[in-house]
Amino acid sequence: MRRRSGTDGALLASLPWTLAALAFAVAPHVQYLPAWITATLFACAAARWQMERKRWRLPPAWARIVLSLLCFAGVFASFDYTISGVGPGSALLAVMAALKLLETRQRRDQFVLLFISVFLVMAALLREQYVWSLPYLVAGLGLTMTAWLRMSSVAAEPARASFGAAGRLLLYAAPLALAMWILFPRIAAPFWAVPIDKSETSAGLNDHMSPGDISSLSLSDAVAFRVEFEGKPPAPSQRYWRGLVLDRFNGRTWRGRDPTELDARDELQVYGEPVRYQVTMEPTGQRWVYALDIPYRSNLEDSFMGQQHELASAQPIDQRVAYSAVSYLQYRIDPALPGFMKSWFLRLPEDRNPRTAELARTMRRTAGSDREFIEDVLQKFHEEAFYYTLEPPPLGANPVDEFLFETRRGFCEHYASAFAVMMRAAGLPARIVLGYQGGEINPLGQYMIVRQSDAHAWTEVWLEGRGWERVDPTAAVAPARIESGMSGAVLAGIGARWGLDAPSRLLHRLVLTWDVFNARWNDWVLGYGPERQNAFLQSLGMERPDWRKMMLTLTGILVILVTVISLLLLRRYRPPRRDPAARLYRQFTRKAGVDPARGESPRDYAGRLASAGVASVEAVERVTVHYLAARYGPNNRRELEALRTAISDFAAVRR
Amino acid sequence: MPARLQTLLPIRAAIRGRAARWAQRRQGPDDAVTRLRPARIYILPTGVGLVYALMTFAMLLGSMNYNNNLSFVLTFLLAGLGLVSMHQCQRNLVDLEIGFAGVDPVFAGESIEFRIAITNSAKSRRHDLQLSAGRARSDIADLAPGESRVFTLALPTERRGRVRLERFGIRTRFPFELFRAWSWLHMDLQGLVYPAPADDAPPPPATQSAHGHRQHDARGEEDFAGFRQFHDGDSPRHVAWKAYARSGELLSKQFAGADTSSQWFDFDEVPLGDTEERLSVLARWIVDADRTHRDYGLRLPAAAFPPAHGDAHRHRCLEALALFEIVGARA
Repeated sequence: MRRRSGTDGALLASLPWTLAALAFAVAPHVQYLPAWITATLFACAAARWQMERKRWRLPPAWARIVLSLLCFAGVFASFDYTISGVGPGSALLAVMAALKLLETRQRRDQFVLLFISVFLVMAALLREQYVWSLPYLVAGLGLTMTAWLRMSSVAAEPARASFGAAGRLLLYAAPLALAMWILFPRIAAPFWAVPIDKSETSAGLNDHMSPGDISSLSLSDAVAFRVEFEGKPPAPSQRYWRGLVLDRFNGRTWRGRDPTELDARDELQVYGEPVRYQVTMEPTGQRWVYALDIPYRSNLEDSFMGQQHELASAQPIDQRVAYSAVSYLQYRIDPALPGFMKSWFLRLPEDRNPRTAELARTMRRTAGSDREFIEDVLQKFHEEAFYYTLEPPPLGANPVDEFLFETRRGFCEHYASAFAVMMRAAGLPARIVLGYQGGEINPLGQYMIVRQSDAHAWTEVWLEGRGWERVDPTAAVAPARIESGMSGAVLAGIGARWGLDAPSRLLHRLVLTWDVFNARWNDWVLGYGPERQNAFLQSLGMERPDWRKMMLTLTGILVILVTVISLLLLRRYRPPRRDPAARLYRQFTRKAGVDPARGESPRDYAGRLASAGVASVEAVERVTVHYLAARYGPNNRRELEALRTAISDFAAVRR
Repeated sequence: MPARLQTLLPIRAAIRGRAARWAQRRQGPDDAVTRLRPARIYILPTGVGLVYALMTFAMLLGSMNYNNNLSFVLTFLLAGLGLVSMHQCQRNLVDLEIGFAGVDPVFAGESIEFRIAITNSAKSRRHDLQLSAGRARSDIADLAPGESRVFTLALPTERRGRVRLERFGIRTRFPFELFRAWSWLHMDLQGLVYPAPADDAPPPPATQSAHGHRQHDARGEEDFAGFRQFHDGDSPRHVAWKAYARSGELLSKQFAGADTSSQWFDFDEVPLGDTEERLSVLARWIVDADRTHRDYGLRLPAAAFPPAHGDAHRHRCLEALALFEIVGARA
């Protein structure tokens, strides 16, 4: 009888592997989990291991129940009283693993822990899918299955043998998994929407702009989206990726339009050649979709064109999306703006930034025309001591005044905001556009990379008879920012600060190579959806693939693969068919002239030969001993030679 | 097992019985050494295997819902592992050589141990093997390449006579315990169960000398051979009074001596009881006599074994008792 309350050391061989599998599975979650959960899991694992080694008793049932209640309440509270989503889900799994450890008594209780470990690996994949996620999942599964083997076997093999066996089974499973992965029909729409932790996937621009918002992005070299153009990509100065338009200002923060407040659609006329391209956009958790200024059309599902020609999705972009779009570089928006619209785009909070308003009015009076006024303001930014910096000083209650007259250090949002305020104060309708500016052509992959550091804010000013026109005040301060892109400008800035030249070309090339790899990974592995699957299967020769054809083909391929694997396994377990020792032994039985009975062991056969007087006891014994050693012993080459000579020496007695 | 599953046990037993009989008809009787062919190895998922399948299915739904291609990879690897482990499980038994390695007689009430030798003549290790018969289970063991190992099936006995082991099974759950592969063997093995020696047997009849007259206490007193429970008729001179004073237990000293006399144990002379009780008493007398190396003979209504001693004689006598009046027992 097993003592119900104590540990007996039976888990010593398997528990370390189970703990290792759990640790591996939980590792990618640690940065997202509340610290107390990681600490609890670690403490429970260490405590359980110590109990096993020292043969201590497990904690009593009431203590475990109290701990469970505390932990579940803790998870509930840590995640704002919700348990749906990957964050709370992985937290619950980690807590369950910790609690289960404390009541794991027998070897087979570890099953639950290993199931949890598999689910944790899956949760990590739902959270993030990098290139290294594939080796991570294979290693996690390998470790879990090794622990599983050690748990389910009584005889403790050396760990290496278990690891090898699990690896071998995984190797057999790999072609099956590959066939299923390629052929299992993908469907487009999810069954039900579960949030994947919005706060964590949210990246890029917000739906409003205050000083400091964009400069915080500009150090991130994370990819915002990648673009493949159908023709020649536009010149660097034309690479404005329109996101959203902000037309409400409260003195500090610019916000987008609330459609209930003003419902008026811009009128768009386009000229010249369209630019066609495909965009693969990383998830942002926001609804904005970026397209070259000015977007004309896109094929993204569930998307619409906003009132001020902002492309947006009806659902937040929680997963990587791909869409093709058409833009025109030459366009005219709203050449005739009705009076109520003009006043909408002139609104400024009256009590804020008075010095800026005053300056604008003065400058407008001295300028001959609206256009000259714009040039004057840009000239002012260019000629006076304004600096383009990633680390602008903080601003107070009248941020535009402070920026223009005191600090004079700012990032694109400072310049755009100040410029728009000055325009409005002088009676020119103006608005802010948020998006990205720039994009680096990757020569290795022939596509353009737009990074978070390319995030940008610029302005649009309405001119009589001309309509909305893009004016980028940052270009006046830091022309390099527009011409050679953000990464160049920032890296040059960093290099200058540390007294270095721009980073070496080799490093840059490595970065680009890695990005090609990432882009292909995104396209082919992560983006293997219904369309790509269809295209791929067609390229393999399947005509008009549908789910029935895919499932039939998959079944056929699986049957073939499983049969092959089964035969390979059979070969491992068949006794060696043409065992040289057995062949020699057959010579011996023929020489002796007596057939061994079915199922008769060599020893019994030897006894029968000897008692029948067919041969000398010694000669039969010699053959038998060498045969057994050669057939089953470890060093059978030498024994085989000994058997050969013993049989050639053997002579049956003829009576 | 949870209580609510208990009600299913008869159904389970009925299904098993039916399946076993079907397998027996299909396979026919087995040789004393049998090689397991693939066609006679059966396989079903275990409870763990069902949970595993359920988990994999849940993960498939999750992957489809999130359109997450990496979690598809994980799901399909798990599914592939399931398929592979099904075949691995069955192959783990293929071509094992199973042979009967003997069984020793026991007294009724003891468990009788059938020894089964399993040989792995392949170059790969066999994992997690266990034999079973009814409720009896052997140890679980692995077999290294070329290894042969004797497994023991211990069956409880109640009555004297022959014990038949019509069928036993060999099973494995390697790897991962997702599946259980097994094979039934029908070697029709038999073991012998002696009657249980009576605990409170009357004293054996008085010893007769070779000349035919009664000779009390002729057992040699040269060599002290041990103690045994006091029986009526034991000489007070042989009672271990010191031990009695210590423990309150009445023991007789036994001596192994140069005993030239012999004893006849006669079925008809056992003072009391029905047949089974008489056989029990006779078994007790034989065991005691054998332990003290005396010559003894056994007389049954249909057979007689002249006085002798030794293991072979003891076995012949006890076997005669075991099979006494059992129809067809001599088969």
